[in-house]
Amino acid sequence: MLTFGKGNLRVPKLSRPVYIVAAGMTDFRKFYPEKQTVELCLEAIRMAVMDGLGMEPKKFQEYPNFCVYSQFADHFGDQLLAAAKSHDYLGFDPIGNCEVKTGGATGGTAVLQAIKDVASGYASCVPVIGWERMDEVSTRQGNAYIASAACKDFESELGWSYTTYYGLPMQRYIHENKPLRETLAKIAQKNHHYARFSPYSQSPKDYTIEEILNSKIVSDPLTFPECCVMSTGAASVIVADEETAFRLTDKPVRVLGMGAGSHTLRTADRRNMPILLLQNETPEMYKDWAKDWPGFISFLAARFAAWQAYHMAGIHNPIRELDLLETHDAFTVSDIITYEDIGLRPYGRGAEFIESGEAYLESDLPPARKLPTNLSGGLLGSMHAVGATGIFQVAEIFWQLRNEWEKFHADEKYWKKYGKTKPKDFKNLQVLNATRGMAISHAGTGSHVTALILERGW
Amino acid sequence: MVQSDSAPKLVKEWFKEKIPDELLVRFNPREIVHAHTYGGLSKFFKGLIEGALLGTKCWNCGGPEGNIWLPPRVHCPDCWCKMTWMTIDPTGAKIYSHSTTNLPGAGFKGTAPCPLISLEIPKVWTRPMSYLSKFAEDEPYIGMPVKPIFRKKIPTYTILDLAWVPVD
Repeated sequence: MLTFGKGNLRVPKLSRPVYIVAAGMTDFRKFYPEKQTVELCLEAIRMAVMDGLGMEPKKFQEYPNFCVYSQFADHFGDQLLAAAKSHDYLGFDPIGNCEVKTGGATGGTAVLQAIKDVASGYASCVPVIGWERMDEVSTRQGNAYIASAACKDFESELGWSYTTYYGLPMQRYIHENKPLRETLAKIAQKNHHYARFSPYSQSPKDYTIEEILNSKIVSDPLTFPECCVMSTGAASVIVADEETAFRLTDKPVRVLGMGAGSHTLRTADRRNMPILLLQNETPEMYKDWAKDWPGFISFLAARFAAWQAYHMAGIHNPIRELDLLETHDAFTVSDIITYEDIGLRPYGRGAEFIESGEAYLESDLPPARKLPTNLSGGLLGSMHAVGATGIFQVAEIFWQLRNEWEKFHADEKYWKKYGKTKPKDFKNLQVLNATRGMAISHAGTGSHVTALILERGW
Repeated sequence: MVQSDSAPKLVKEWFKEKIPDELLVRFNPREIVHAHTYGGLSKFFKGLIEGALLGTKCWNCGGPEGNIWLPPRVHCPDCWCKMTWMTIDPTGAKIYSHSTTNLPGAGFKGTAPCPLISLEIPKVWTRPMSYLSKFAEDEPYIGMPVKPIFRKKIPTYTILDLAWVPVD
């Protein structure tokens, strides 16, 4: 679609208020033979119910009237209809359920689906549980499975690796926009650093920029620390209507806006079109624009999802009006592109979001001038158990908005639970007075993107 | 009782980690064959073996210049009508972007490092992905003029039957 009709640009709305009331997750590991997938799912929802709601599972089981499950690839878990196994294992039979699949954005889509289930009035309480078991096959085979989500006729054979499918846009991005190579590395540095303060994270480390740039190149110019981890683990959130939400908790988090966009699976097929402007952009800003759009180095799906979510939420200036952000930082280059797609900077100037300090919690900028991003450690530092990822992002934002980051990250019991030692230089990553956050979930080279804006609901 | 085969199936080490004694981890090997049809795109893949680069164009939507789809599609996504097949003239093709992979995924039929490329071809409005099969030390680079070569002998019947080389 190159031009939009009125129906295409209808601003989505919910028929009634929808809330998130609890969140839980497992830790994320490269290799997790100690637990089967259903065990991981149970741990994630048990944490949401027992540690979050302070409820006994038996009591909670009286609430749900629909469930949504999220797994990216049947290939990895090697069990078709795996959702049925999880659902049964959790004792939710005979409540209805469905399993969602939109590639890397599966988790984000699953949360959106549950929100729509509740908003429609069909359901009043919907647990959302996502996972990926990526450790049954070697890393090389895992990359090939993931590349099966590229076009098998025209792309997959060309490398069988998404790192290459992002190396191509990265080379072009650097050519056209000329960011410092170091700026891209800083994204990886930031997220691996924040991962150090999460007991759930798989790849925490303090890297120097030189270490990142001198690491082994996977597919040039992307080096190892600039590529997301491959994880096994699970995450969950519980979605509810207003009445149920306030019965379950005093501090539910409300859905303020959401959107979902798509674009051609093959990056090759992206035809030029006029830039879809966000509320904080004007035609004047792009009057001399002579480059392709969205082309290779912008995600139309992310732009469209953000357009919908901002309109629905009434957001005009995302940096000023949001307090924290979780992006799908699968690769450093996809992150810098996303900053532009979601309007943190005009197209071509994504690097400024990092260089200005706005993406950092530690920055001296006043709160209204910054938007701490991926305090969870993101996909680079913490996890990418694909079906769990979009849910993990929402869980982290949920805790932040309830001022519970410390409860779920600083408590020694979680570090001990996963056999880890809390760092001596532990840092509190709670965003002060966080009231609004956004999560961006992303698939392929931008085939599906969801945006979800949450705010304190009490 | 069903007979056990004699091949070892238990995993002792995986991802360089020893499997703890109390856990049982089993290898589940497999070999699966799919019969995949190229359907209406068969013409494109057959064309490669004959040394022709074929694209499609929608005369219903597009004007006389450009707007050629490569990868081709049988139907136009804008009007859902069948498009027209045409031979693409690769003169003036350039590298639009590139990434040399050192660590391809399993099943990759080439040798690493392998430079994967995206192409800019006159009159083609897409940016097809392929690979460079011959290159010097400072290649590939963006804007590099290239021409296609075709695997006519012993074809793979995949997109790998098409590759690109420097023009000179």
